[in-house]
Amino acid sequence: MKDKMTPMERAKAIAKGEMADRLPCNPNVANGVARIYGCKISEFNQSARIIADAQIASYRRFGYDGVRIFTDLFPWAEAMGAKINFPADNTADLAAPALADIGQIDRLESADPHKDGRLPIHIEAMKYLIDELGEEVSCAGGLVGPFTNAFFLLGIEKMSKLFFTNPEVVHRACQVSLETCIRYAQAILDVGLTPTISEPMSSCTIVGPKHFREFGEPYLKKLVQYINSKGKPVTMHICGKTEKIWEDIVAMGIAGFSVDNVVNLQKCKEQIGDRVKILGHVDPSAVMYAGTPADVREAVIKCVQQAWDSPKGYVIMSGCSLPVETPFGNIEAMMDAAREIGYPIEPIKLEKMLRSSAHA
Amino acid sequence: MSELKQKLILQLADSVVTMNEEMTVELARTYIEAGFNPYEGINQGLARGMDRAGELYEEEEYFIPELLMCSDAMYAGLDVLRPHLKQDKLGEKHKVVIGVVEGDTHDIGKNLVKIMLETLGFEVVDLGRDVPPVDFVEKAKEIEADIIALSTLMTTTMEGMRVVMQLLERDRLRDKIKVMIGGGPISKSFADKIGAYYAEDASKAAKLAQDLVKDLVQEVQQG
Repeated sequence: MKDKMTPMERAKAIAKGEMADRLPCNPNVANGVARIYGCKISEFNQSARIIADAQIASYRRFGYDGVRIFTDLFPWAEAMGAKINFPADNTADLAAPALADIGQIDRLESADPHKDGRLPIHIEAMKYLIDELGEEVSCAGGLVGPFTNAFFLLGIEKMSKLFFTNPEVVHRACQVSLETCIRYAQAILDVGLTPTISEPMSSCTIVGPKHFREFGEPYLKKLVQYINSKGKPVTMHICGKTEKIWEDIVAMGIAGFSVDNVVNLQKCKEQIGDRVKILGHVDPSAVMYAGTPADVREAVIKCVQQAWDSPKGYVIMSGCSLPVETPFGNIEAMMDAAREIGYPIEPIKLEKMLRSSAHA
Repeated sequence: MSELKQKLILQLADSVVTMNEEMTVELARTYIEAGFNPYEGINQGLARGMDRAGELYEEEEYFIPELLMCSDAMYAGLDVLRPHLKQDKLGEKHKVVIGVVEGDTHDIGKNLVKIMLETLGFEVVDLGRDVPPVDFVEKAKEIEADIIALSTLMTTTMEGMRVVMQLLERDRLRDKIKVMIGGGPISKSFADKIGAYYAEDASKAAKLAQDLVKDLVQEVQQG
C-alpha cells in the first residue's frame, strides 16, 4: 500500500484537526536499518554518512513517520571514558564503566559533543539526515537521559548498590551526566533536529519509584526543561513498567511518552493522555520479531483500539527498538495495518478488521 | 527442630530480605557455632529470604537495586555456611552452564538464577556475560552439563540464543542438554519458536531446572 501524504503533511494535518490519510506510525527500526541498507552495524561507528544513508534507505522503503540518529545506549558514557564493545555486526555494548573506582569521581568530566568519542559522528549524521529528509519527515537526535547514562559511568550493579551506601557519589555522577546530556541536546538543536530521550534505567522494572525520585527525576527534569526552554518539545521513551512514575514523567513537561508493551495502553491513555501524546506499544519481541504479519496486524489494531482517542494524540509504535533481525515483512505489515485502518478512526471498522483477522 | 535453630533460620531469611549483610553473616556464624545443619540454613533460611525478596519484586515493592543488596547479604551468608556442607548429602550433582548471551553485559538476572540454582544443589559453571554461543555448547560438552541457561536483557542479542540451539542440533545434543532462557525481552512464544524452555524469573528458573533434570532422568530410564 502507498501513502497519500508525507509524514510531515500528515503530522501537520492531524495537529490542525484536518483530514489525514492515516495515523502516524513508527516501527522503531533502530540498527535493523543496516539490514535494509546492506552494511555491517559496526560501520555506524566510523561513518556519519553510512548512519544517515541507512536511516534514509529504511525510511524510503517503509515510509514510517519518524527517523532518528541513535545507534546504541553508550556513546555518551564512551565519550566520558567508558569502554565499549563493538561487535562486527551487532549493537555496541558496555564493556567497562567510565570509573573503575568511585574514588575517582572528581575526575569525571562532561563530554564535548564535537570532540569526544563517536558523538561528532552522530552530530554529522544528523546534518545529512535533515538535509535529505527534513522537508518530509520529522528528524530526531536520540540521547539517553542523565540517570541512565550515570549507570554506565559508575557500573550498573555498583550504582544500584550506591543508592544505599553512598548516595552522594550517585548524585555527583548524575550531575556530570546531565551536563553531557545538555551539551549534546544543544548540539542536536543546533543542527535543527528534535532531541528524544531514552531512559531505560528509570523503568520500574529496574529501579523503584523511590530511587527514581531521589536520583533520576531531578536530573531528567532539568534536561527536559532545558530542551523546552529552547522551544522544542520532548518525546521520552522508558522501557518496561512505568505506571508508578507516569505522573512524575508528565510533570517534567514532556510532549510525548513512548511506552513499552508491558504497560496497559488504555490505562496510560486514560491517566495521562490528556497531557501528553502517547506512542506505543506493539510487542517488539513476541509480535514484531517472532510473530507473523497477521499477528502484527492484529496487534496494531488492538493498540489503536485502546489509544486512538487519546486527547493529545496517538502514534502507532513498537514498545521498544526492534530487534535487528526483525523480518521486513512484519515491519511492512505494521505500516500496512496503519494504512488499512485509515483516518479518522472508526471503532466499528477496527472491530470488523479484528473479526476478519480471527477468521483468516 | 530446636527453638533456637528455628529462630535463627527465620532471622537468616529476614536479614536477607532486609538487605542486612552484616547481620546475615553474624547469624550464619551463630548458627554454625551452635552446630546446626548448614544445608537447612541455606535452603530454609537464606534461600527463603531470597524467595521472599523475589516475591517483593513481583509485587513491585522491591526492584533490582534491592534484589542486588539482598543477594549480597545472601552471598555473605553462603560464604559462612557453604564450607560446612557435606557434599555427599546432596546426592549426585546436576550441572548447569549459565551465562549472558554475546552482545549483552547485563548480568543481574543471570546472577540471581545462579544463586537459586546453587542453593538447590546444582553445580553451576558461570561463563559470565557477553558469551559467544559456541562457548556455551563447548563448555556444556566438556563438563557433561544437563542444562544450558541463557539470559539476556537486550532484544538485540536474542539471535544468539537461536544459534546455541542450532549448535546443539548440529552436534545431536538436543536430547541430552536442555536449554532454558529468560530475561526482559524473552517471551514464551520466542522460547517455543527456537525450541528452548522459558523461565519467567529467577525462582521459576530454578524450579524449571529441577523439573528438566527429572525429565532427563526419566528419559534415560525409559530409554
